[in-house]
Amino acid sequence: MFAYYFQLGLRSLRRNPMLTALMIMAIGFGVAASMTTYSVFRATSNNPIPQKSSVLFAPQIDNWGPEDNDKGEPPSAMTYTDAMALIRAHKAKRQTALYPIAISVVPDDANKLPVMENSYAVYGDAFTMFDIPFLYGGGWTSNEDDAHAAVAVISRALNEKLFNGANSVGRALNIDGHSYKITGVMDTWDPQPLFFDPVNTSGFDDPTQVFIPFTRAIDLNLLTAGNNNCNKSAGDGYEAWLHSECVWIEFWAELPDRAAADEYKQFLTGYAAEQQRSGRFRWAPNVRLSDVMTWMDVQKVVPPESKISLLVALGFLLICLVNTVGLLLAKFMRRSSEIGVRRALGAPRREIYAQFLMESATIGLVGGVLGLVLTGVGVLCIGLVFEPDIARLARLDVKLVLLTLMVAIGATVLAAFYPTWRAAQVQPAWQLKSN
Amino acid sequence: MLKMTHLSKVYRTEVVETYALRDFNINVQEGEFVAVTGPSGSGKTTFLTIAGLLETFTGGEYHLDSVEVSRLDDNARSKIRNEKIGFIFQAFNLIPDLNVFDNVEVPLRYRGMKSAERKQRIMDALERVGLASRAKHYPAELSGGQQQRVAIARALAGSPRLLLADEPTGNLDTQMARGVMELLEEIHREGATIVMVTHDPELAARAQRNVHIIDGQVVDLAEDPRFHSQHTVRSPA
Amino acid sequence: MIQQIKPILVALKRHKAGTVLIALQIALTLAIVCNALFIIEQRVNRLQRPTGVTESDLLAVQSRFVGATDADTPPLIRSDVLALRQVPGVADAYATNSFPLRGGGWSTGIKTDPDARKSITQTTQYFVDEHALATLGSKLVEGRNFNAGEVSVTDPKAMKTAPQILITKALGEKLFPKQSALGKVVYLGDDKSPATVIGVLDRLQVPWSGTWADNFQEYAVLQPYQLSGNFTVYLIRAKPGQLAAITKAVPETLFKVNHMRVITGKRGIRSFEKVRADAYRSDRGMAILMSVVCLVLLAITAAGIVGLTSFWVGQRRKQIGVRRALGATRGDILGYFMTENLLIGAVGVVIGAGLAIGMNLWLVSHFEMARLSLLYVLAGIVLLLILGQGAVLAPALRAARVSPVEATRSA
Repeated sequence: MFAYYFQLGLRSLRRNPMLTALMIMAIGFGVAASMTTYSVFRATSNNPIPQKSSVLFAPQIDNWGPEDNDKGEPPSAMTYTDAMALIRAHKAKRQTALYPIAISVVPDDANKLPVMENSYAVYGDAFTMFDIPFLYGGGWTSNEDDAHAAVAVISRALNEKLFNGANSVGRALNIDGHSYKITGVMDTWDPQPLFFDPVNTSGFDDPTQVFIPFTRAIDLNLLTAGNNNCNKSAGDGYEAWLHSECVWIEFWAELPDRAAADEYKQFLTGYAAEQQRSGRFRWAPNVRLSDVMTWMDVQKVVPPESKISLLVALGFLLICLVNTVGLLLAKFMRRSSEIGVRRALGAPRREIYAQFLMESATIGLVGGVLGLVLTGVGVLCIGLVFEPDIARLARLDVKLVLLTLMVAIGATVLAAFYPTWRAAQVQPAWQLKSN
Repeated sequence: MLKMTHLSKVYRTEVVETYALRDFNINVQEGEFVAVTGPSGSGKTTFLTIAGLLETFTGGEYHLDSVEVSRLDDNARSKIRNEKIGFIFQAFNLIPDLNVFDNVEVPLRYRGMKSAERKQRIMDALERVGLASRAKHYPAELSGGQQQRVAIARALAGSPRLLLADEPTGNLDTQMARGVMELLEEIHREGATIVMVTHDPELAARAQRNVHIIDGQVVDLAEDPRFHSQHTVRSPA
Repeated sequence: MIQQIKPILVALKRHKAGTVLIALQIALTLAIVCNALFIIEQRVNRLQRPTGVTESDLLAVQSRFVGATDADTPPLIRSDVLALRQVPGVADAYATNSFPLRGGGWSTGIKTDPDARKSITQTTQYFVDEHALATLGSKLVEGRNFNAGEVSVTDPKAMKTAPQILITKALGEKLFPKQSALGKVVYLGDDKSPATVIGVLDRLQVPWSGTWADNFQEYAVLQPYQLSGNFTVYLIRAKPGQLAAITKAVPETLFKVNHMRVITGKRGIRSFEKVRADAYRSDRGMAILMSVVCLVLLAITAAGIVGLTSFWVGQRRKQIGVRRALGATRGDILGYFMTENLLIGAVGVVIGAGLAIGMNLWLVSHFEMARLSLLYVLAGIVLLLILGQGAVLAPALRAARVSPVEATRSA
């Protein structure tokens, strides 16, 4: 019967072509609007590190107090003082402080111009914590951290550019005139959102090309290439800045289970209490500990444009469905004589349901195909609304194609329930009289 | 085959109750050809829709093929309609979207029949009514008589035991009406039970037995003077 | 028309589902269209904010020295600027930390009392030399520009506020309501060094286009400093029609002066037109998106009304025929369907107005959006009622053409 009803559905498309075209367009546009905006929402609300998102935590410590903080929330970044205290306490299984740095790589070939690359200063634990894949070698160890060693990890792309893709582990890298020993070459690593630093990137940026030790970056007096927020003047010079209340460091702790996380939160509270006793904080401990997805949420990684446009698109789809309910009702009720005859000839109600729902599914399928084409156009046009860093993430992949068709068919069938119910209520007797 | 005892059908609106059938009794034997006659509004069609399980009734009993049908649910009633009853409507009631072949196929589809058997039966039925060559035509491309023959083929294809016809020739000219009537007689000779509603006395006369309905009740021909007078006026016999 | 209302209501009772569907569709469309129009207006308003800069023929370059210590950089910047001013086609140029719509820059509290705990407002700081105003094409409304002698080199990590500064007119009015800011003394951040306003600029926007900077959009302070450090922004004004030529010549010149530099990535060299496009990409995009949504939505709603009304007309042909046979004129039939649509539309827009306001309140609480002006709801109501009447016209005209003969056909 499935095939029979599908065939009847296709045939029925040709009847009332205007009505059918209206429905298909309504469904197509509604689904395309939803799917296009969803493709952005999906990219921006993606879990970038699903296997570890529940064990990686970003702590926050309120060093500004109720007068300067953001409606009671601690600053999104940390001071050097607090970050170093957490590093020294070493209460987490793995931990890293990190900040973006503006450095340039100078090619050995003097004819080539220096290149500026997205770079971060991190601790050696970061590579394991963030599951960074390696093509050659690996990250550095805590010994190099402690030694403030001149070592570096570079990306596959940079390795391609500088060493033509050869294994460059152990070779020297010239960064701003200083020589670094390469300990590892990362394989392609492009987490989206850029979960470890949404504060400085809004969550989306090109892949990181160079990592150097945090301790080394501080030795070189490197400033952050990201945000530096101060509630009062930092004082003069680098040293004063390090010991100021300016916040500019991101911190991550790997805490394997709930208990470890609870314990860490207590530790943070204890640390803040100690700062209060010592007179640095003149307020009660105010700390936060967020896992990756919570942190993405706190940092509002999904742009409001994405949420609003998804919302509007869903409203749009809803209207298209209400529209489809009306048009299907008209289409089906025009055929009440056919329904009466079928019922008289022995069709039980469920067969009427099956026939008309299948017919709707057929309309939904055709609407879905139109929707797919429009979604393709929509995805191409996303760059008009969103930053290129975000727009590049929205793709029409197999999953989205299937979802588009499923939503189109599902929504149409849903819209068809009421009209089909009305169709199934048509009494066989009505149509016996002359028509 | 078909037995109604003390059957009643009441239409209720907010203000009035109207009896369409009242203490209605009829017994049609297997293999009979019965013509039901009566004036407009007498309840002929109501009787036929109840007989065909297209409508429910208010009181009394209705046995179809020895089964009391008032307690059957919609599905069971659909199944009986599909397997035991064939319908021929005055307005043909072909589905305009479907061609002749597909129209005849409709009741067979609901029976879950295999495609090959379906095809065989459809072609046989169309052969019977002389329209095998028009299988791919759409109803709108056929004359009224041809459409009614397709409707009969549709009724026959399922080999129903009971054929219900509602003014089958009402929309046809004399020539076509005769052809359709001959077809019904032929089907009857092959063993089908036929109940036909008509107000055409000529047509009624060709049935084995006439049942007259007035004001929702079956009237015994012998005892009702009104019938006699009507009969003598209308029938030249 | 009025005497038709009662029979219409009776007839609508018999088409409950269709009536409810049309009303619902009108209501939802109104809710979305009102909010979308409002979003469009807000975004377009942002797009139209003036920067205070003469935007044509202006080029922005971001450069970073490689392997230079902060102390090395002031002479390097100086030679860059001097070289840039010599490039054929260049009218003027200067080095700075930021410029309007750049996206990143400095913001500081500003106050008039050095001992006040709270600043009066946030302001942005631009570090410039005496060529800035000519390069930007910004006008002074009061006072004077910096002179070359006032411009000095300073380290951003150990900076005192300069004794002479320029501020924008808007900032002056904020700090000194109803008086001239010229000659007044202000204090930046925690710094207790007094700064005297020597000039007031007509207008200069902050580097940020985001909503968070909305409440200090035109508050800017210009200090006569050249900052040390290896990151510098150069703003370069081309002579009329020379922008394309200097876009090519400028990086060549810079590398010729000093090749140990990086002109950084996607934002390395941008015309101001590009700067504006980048800054307002999402605002412009949202406005476009919402416009498209509105148009398609209105089209679909109109199509839905046409579809359902056509169906009703089809169903009621006999009824219409009877009315015509009993003496109804074509105008009566047309009026009947128009009135019917108006009644359904009225119910729809009443519900829709509620939905529109509800949706806006929800958006306000979640997305830092402004309250919907009731004017938009009114405009939306009128728009949808007109749309409904327009959509119903075709089927209503078809109904009016039904012949009285239909009455005699069997139903």
